[in-house]
Amino acid sequence: MNYPLAPAAAAPSHLNPAHIEAGNRTLAEMQDLASSLTFAAMLTDDGFEIVHLNGTHADGGRFASMSSSVQALSDAVAHELKIGTNEYVIIASELGHVIQLRVQGHPIVLAALFDTHETLGKGLSIARIAARRMAELIA
Amino acid sequence: MSEHVVLFAGPMGSGKTTAIGSLSEIDVVSTEATNTDRATANKETTTVALDYGEITLDDVTKVRLYGVPGQKRFDFMWSILAGRARGLLLLINNDAPDSVNLLVKYLGDFRELHERGAVIIGVTKSDVASTPTVAEYSAALTAAVPEQLIPVFTVDPRNADEMRTLLLSLIASVEMRELLAPAPEKI
Repeated sequence: MNYPLAPAAAAPSHLNPAHIEAGNRTLAEMQDLASSLTFAAMLTDDGFEIVHLNGTHADGGRFASMSSSVQALSDAVAHELKIGTNEYVIIASELGHVIQLRVQGHPIVLAALFDTHETLGKGLSIARIAARRMAELIA
Repeated sequence: MSEHVVLFAGPMGSGKTTAIGSLSEIDVVSTEATNTDRATANKETTTVALDYGEITLDDVTKVRLYGVPGQKRFDFMWSILAGRARGLLLLINNDAPDSVNLLVKYLGDFRELHERGAVIIGVTKSDVASTPTVAEYSAALTAAVPEQLIPVFTVDPRNADEMRTLLLSLIASVEMRELLAPAPEKI
């Protein structure tokens, strides 16, 4: 794949080879921790997919856009209610759980879909580990 | 008090968030994210879910103002919010590439809304690019939607008075449409 020649630090994350590599590595490690991980993506705050895992389960681009909107709406609710910073978002459904949270210090969101074989608690724990790992890799 | 829901739509950088900020009496609920697509619009942030504001007109009419993201990849938000609106305020920035065709395309994306409600066009950034003219936009709209007369104005989204005039025109069209709608059949 050809990447823009701009310095890595200046490129947005979805065009930044270092961020793409870090994202792929993080999601692969995440998969090792949870076989119940059905789909996962790293995305920019404004809804561009950086990388995804298990793409056959969802349209990665659309999932990234929707996750971006959900994250922003959740942030807006937390702001409106003056309850501090929004830490994570959970969508618990009959056949799966979506967990998403920010990669600390970067305009990047991790969104992960687990099947119902995973408890919400374990899914959240794994997602937090992955978000921290991503932050370390691109620091 | 009567209530209306109006949708602000248009390309990224056309001034939707600014327009709602100019009009709203409440603190605008916004969902801004860092903009990484500087090629499309050179601005710091972009709307990724919605903007929401409110304004009261003539003490008896409350208007809920919803702004949608400009980028097509957020079109699921367009469908969600268009469903509850009766009026469409479509902004087009005059400096956008091929802005006339872009406007017609956006209008097509919201066809269901403007067919059952009302629509008005605001051309922004005409101080940055003097062409196309309002007449060119009107001609293109007449060709695309010959059965509907769609008003076109130039407007500065930062100017509350100009935005208010545009909004009042739209609300008048919405109310006229409701008055002229056939009454539901009695069972």
